Amino acid sequence: MSAITLTSPAVERAPLLRSQAFKVTRLTLFYLVLAVIGAMFLIPLVFAAFGSLKPDSQILTTPAWAPPGHPVWSNYSNTWGNFSQVETEFSTYFYNTLMVTVALTVGQVFFSMLAAYAFARLRFPGRDTIFWVYLMTLMVPNIVTIIPLYTIMDKIHLVNTYWAIFLPYCLGTPYTIFLMRQFFRGIPQEVIDSAKIDGCGDVGVLRRVIVPLSRPVLITAALIAFVFSWNNFLWPLVIEGSQSHYLLTVGLANFTTGPGTGEYMNIVLAGAMITLIPMILVFIIFNRYIIRSIQLTSGR
Amino acid sequence: MAVVTVGADQLQQLGGSPPAVHHRSRLREFLAAFPFIAPSLIGVLMFLVLPVLFVFVLSFLEWSGAGPFKWAGMQNWVDIFKYDGAGHSIGVTAYYVLLNIPAQTVIALALAVMLNRKRRGMAFFRVLYLMPYLTTPVAMGVIWFWVFQPQSGAIDHFLSLFGISGPDWLNSSRWAMPVVAAVNIWQYVGFNMLFFFAGLQAIPRSLYEAAEIDGASKWRQFWRISLPLLNPTTLFLLVTDVIGSFQVFDTLYVLTGGSGGPGDSTKVMALNIYNVGFQGTRYGEAAALSVMLFGVILIFSIGQFLFFRNRTTYEYSQ
Repeated sequence: MSAITLTSPAVERAPLLRSQAFKVTRLTLFYLVLAVIGAMFLIPLVFAAFGSLKPDSQILTTPAWAPPGHPVWSNYSNTWGNFSQVETEFSTYFYNTLMVTVALTVGQVFFSMLAAYAFARLRFPGRDTIFWVYLMTLMVPNIVTIIPLYTIMDKIHLVNTYWAIFLPYCLGTPYTIFLMRQFFRGIPQEVIDSAKIDGCGDVGVLRRVIVPLSRPVLITAALIAFVFSWNNFLWPLVIEGSQSHYLLTVGLANFTTGPGTGEYMNIVLAGAMITLIPMILVFIIFNRYIIRSIQLTSGR
Repeated sequence: MAVVTVGADQLQQLGGSPPAVHHRSRLREFLAAFPFIAPSLIGVLMFLVLPVLFVFVLSFLEWSGAGPFKWAGMQNWVDIFKYDGAGHSIGVTAYYVLLNIPAQTVIALALAVMLNRKRRGMAFFRVLYLMPYLTTPVAMGVIWFWVFQPQSGAIDHFLSLFGISGPDWLNSSRWAMPVVAAVNIWQYVGFNMLFFFAGLQAIPRSLYEAAEIDGASKWRQFWRISLPLLNPTTLFLLVTDVIGSFQVFDTLYVLTGGSGGPGDSTKVMALNIYNVGFQGTRYGEAAALSVMLFGVILIFSIGQFLFFRNRTTYEYSQ
């Protein structure tokens, strides 16, 4: 490029330089726009992080973009333990959420895997009919089942128990079964046949062949379950009446509905950060798998 | 299929009756597969199929959260329009969908087009824009609730630098819904962008090269190549987004303090179901509202599908 510029007559050099300057400016502007848009996605989280570390006297008076002068870490310990002004205990909510989420994720991945193996690799009467029923339930909006599900839970005496929060979702979900089935079908039959010749039954094939070969889809399924459970709100809200059973989302929402709404915003923001930090970590570590899971959905 | 032939072969050799052996092997197959599908089958029947069937029945019953069910006939269906503002909530929900979907789809498409080029850092920006999608909606709702607080919130603080005072945002029946829609767009636009991006990547480069030779501008290429070929992606996103928007709950609940206020200005159908059922303990009426929501979602999905199916889709081969 520079050689051409040097050998070109002076008259031609000027427009070339100008077009190059134009290109650089355009590129800078392009990245600037991308950065500004990116900032819009990050700013609320930065503000919340700042706010969660401000003292009571500053939270409502200083602008959100001003960093806290002296970070008040005790906001977090107040939120975590018992804060006298607002009755709350985020440590309990956190452990409840963690427990329910782990149970839901393990159950959903394991039982979905079993079903997906049967649909993908076994031949049995009624297989296609059952699979069709599973697919049809994908069309049912979640909210439509909340009222009847509550009624059913009441009749089997599970309202106000931890079981009720994850039981409906831990026996395998049609969407995850569908994703895994697609993946399992792609495994060559020869691999399975040779495992069977070596004396593996269905359980052996699943454990020694399918699971090691399907790590990507299993991680994707685990992420879907984990994120769903961690963020779940409406169902835990209606099924849990006592505060000792609350999940993080329900405990947080309580702040904006109860008395004293808008007060102690620094404490509330610390609670929001406690809820968000695990999700943000999951996103940073697993964003490849998350993008992959979205692309799997779009390829349907 | 193979099983049937093997069975028939064996039968010819043995001279037995065909259906019996056939039957036995099918039973054996079923028993072998049953442990694998049993857990999910129980889950799907108990927590998905049964509730869907039961919600229709419950909409004709009276139940207050305890005791036996009582037959109510059409009473619930009359009452939801008379006392529970069913008609109003359909209007509010439709308003939310209109505020949410067009803006979200257009912004997502614009972002995807911007990031669909071979430059350094594009993957980084894609990940960054997707980030809000994973953040807990309730926690983000709490943060936005604070950002939009009158006077003390970040937005009003910022506006006051220019001598503007904000319009009371979430306490104003005019502004509350646009704020809820904006927060939801913030959360889900990156997710939609990723779908459009995948769609754009699938369009062969040769089409753009041919258009370039014919002297078509970038703008024209977008309208004549990208947009028509994105039709399947757009349809998929519109259907899933509209279905999702009809169910909006988490963010809205937190932003409006669970009330659907000010007044009933943000009382969407999902919130109405929650209020009538779990706060009013009129589960029969809440079930009727649920069936109504189901019906509205079905009608919209079918309508959208038909609309897009009747429009030209361009086929291309590589």
